[in-house]
Amino acid sequence: MGAHIGLIVNPAAGRDIRRLTGGASVVDNYAKRRVAECVLEGLEVVPDPPTALLMPDTAGIAASAAEEISGVETDLLDCSPDGTAADTRRAAARFSEEADAIVVLGGDGTSRDTALECGDVPLLPVSTGTNNVVPTAVDGTVAGAAAALVATGAVEAAAVTYRHDMVEARTKSDETVTGLASVELSNRSFVGTRAMLDPEDLTGGVVSRANPADIGLSSVAGATDSLAPDEPGVIGLRLVDPDTAPRTVRAIVAPGVVAEIGIEEGYRLTDGESMTVDVEEGVVGADGERELEVVGETVEFRAADRGPRLVSIEAVFDAAGTGVFENG
Amino acid sequence: MPTIDLETETGRKEALRRMLTIRQFDTTAGERFADGEIPGFVHLYIGEEAVGVGACSALEDDDYITSTHRGHGHCIAKGLDPKPMMAELYGKREGYCNGKGGSMHIADVDAGMLGANGIVGAGPPLGTGAALTIDRKGEDRVALSFLGDGAVAQGQVHSAANLAATWDLPVIFLVENNHYGEGTPVEEQHNVENLSATAGAYNVPGITVDGMDITAVNEAVTEARERARAGDGPTFIEAETYRFHGHFEGDEELYREDDEVERWEARDPIETFAQRLIDRGELTNEEYEALQSEVETTIEEALEYAQSAEEPAPEEAYDDMFAAEVPEITEFARRVRADGGDPDGGER
Repeated sequence: MGAHIGLIVNPAAGRDIRRLTGGASVVDNYAKRRVAECVLEGLEVVPDPPTALLMPDTAGIAASAAEEISGVETDLLDCSPDGTAADTRRAAARFSEEADAIVVLGGDGTSRDTALECGDVPLLPVSTGTNNVVPTAVDGTVAGAAAALVATGAVEAAAVTYRHDMVEARTKSDETVTGLASVELSNRSFVGTRAMLDPEDLTGGVVSRANPADIGLSSVAGATDSLAPDEPGVIGLRLVDPDTAPRTVRAIVAPGVVAEIGIEEGYRLTDGESMTVDVEEGVVGADGERELEVVGETVEFRAADRGPRLVSIEAVFDAAGTGVFENG
Repeated sequence: MPTIDLETETGRKEALRRMLTIRQFDTTAGERFADGEIPGFVHLYIGEEAVGVGACSALEDDDYITSTHRGHGHCIAKGLDPKPMMAELYGKREGYCNGKGGSMHIADVDAGMLGANGIVGAGPPLGTGAALTIDRKGEDRVALSFLGDGAVAQGQVHSAANLAATWDLPVIFLVENNHYGEGTPVEEQHNVENLSATAGAYNVPGITVDGMDITAVNEAVTEARERARAGDGPTFIEAETYRFHGHFEGDEELYREDDEVERWEARDPIETFAQRLIDRGELTNEEYEALQSEVETTIEEALEYAQSAEEPAPEEAYDDMFAAEVPEITEFARRVRADGGDPDGGER
């Protein structure tokens, strides 16, 4: 049996309120379809391209991309999309058994939903905008080529992938929110339009990576500490009003938004350690989006059990060398 | 100050009350229409309450709105009184337009409600016009135009949006995507999945929100209002919603399946919001029931008011048509009073 790649395209466009409040960029479904076509074209970088398994989406992006492509065999999964994150999770679960690599076109949220279900299949999240921490901003053709090289074994997956830790928040009533880069607490009342709005709403959380170049809570953590996504441990943060904070940092909290953030405490959590916060009223979010409204709760932040294996595109082409591409 | 502050417990209860008031008003209007008491057509807002109340609560009292043919909800959300509203539906003199407008033409300029409208897509030009006035007068307020998914494809909506965007006018275009333009599904009318994507044509931001969630609509309008006030121009908001009733009362609804209606009814914007308040410990089941019966009383009173109100006299037919004097109309009004308007001067 030949190799397979899974392709997930998140059609949810135009739902990020940060395009009103910050500098979030917009990628419409037409552009996403073209990127999906590029991914499929990229598979032809290997002589015997993998079959592409596609998640059907409500906007028909994957299906129309497949129609445009002739050099690669494509197969649309037999399931009807309902336009929610459940589509992604269902497809990722299928791909965990049937695919040798997965390409995701979407943001941190779609990558996380995939990561929760895709097991150890190498994952290649491609950013279709500029608003994300984890997905790589790379041309779709290059991403497709990298996925093909990994899926067909032209490069050894173990050598070009790394484990990306995840983080979670658990309430005492046993509800869990999982994030790829961060899980954060906001003092807003409602989930509303989802995106974290004002920097002053953020009251803390936990991150799996810390780098000033990340966007969101990871950037805040990155201002005082450094943590690679595959490094053991996570960082917990308690934030306060900058005017009364023992230390303040400047951080990129959203696209187009650099803010002064007051840090009360920031510490590494290792070996199952957690940070507990009593919340009178607030919303727990993941990767910059509000998810769960909490009132009169105790929330425990910690590392999640495991995370996905992400493909380093640079490492793939380094490992491939030039020989792989020669026809002899 | 927003009309209703959803960040406060009191505000959330008031928002719930307004949504319930709309539901009860339109339920009653539908029943009375079915019994033949209300003339003309009625288009009910049942199912879409979170959009109207979410939006209007984010506005300030002196902001303007323009409405659609499905306007009862917008009126109540903007704070209009159910009594003269119901009287207007009944064609009575105590109605907002002295009984001459009916369901599709309720307006109260003093309250910032610039009118429901029987013409699809006619609201946005009025919204852009109101915003131009605001801009010229240097006032600190905004206009919000409600429009439906079908209206998005109308030429006059394009004209209104284009000028508003070009001139950075303080207007918000709120598309109530209830998934059908009369009986035509939205995907058979438009080539974009999210109608907010049309904003790109005007170089202004567009956003799609869950129109069954009052907090999401409220948040989007709050941010759009800030953009408008700051001189950054219009914002397109698409609220995904659903009407639980047909396009008009009496619609056989052959174009949609029962299970689709049931799926949306399971996301009832009032019930889900009430449940959230109950879960938060802000509302008890008893308080919710009490609120529902208060609202029932309010609408019963509005109904009695409308039923017992007087009809306008035939001689008043030419009154209230123009704010400025129009000689021909004045002459018609004089003649209709003198002889019933019969050119031969006969008995009417």
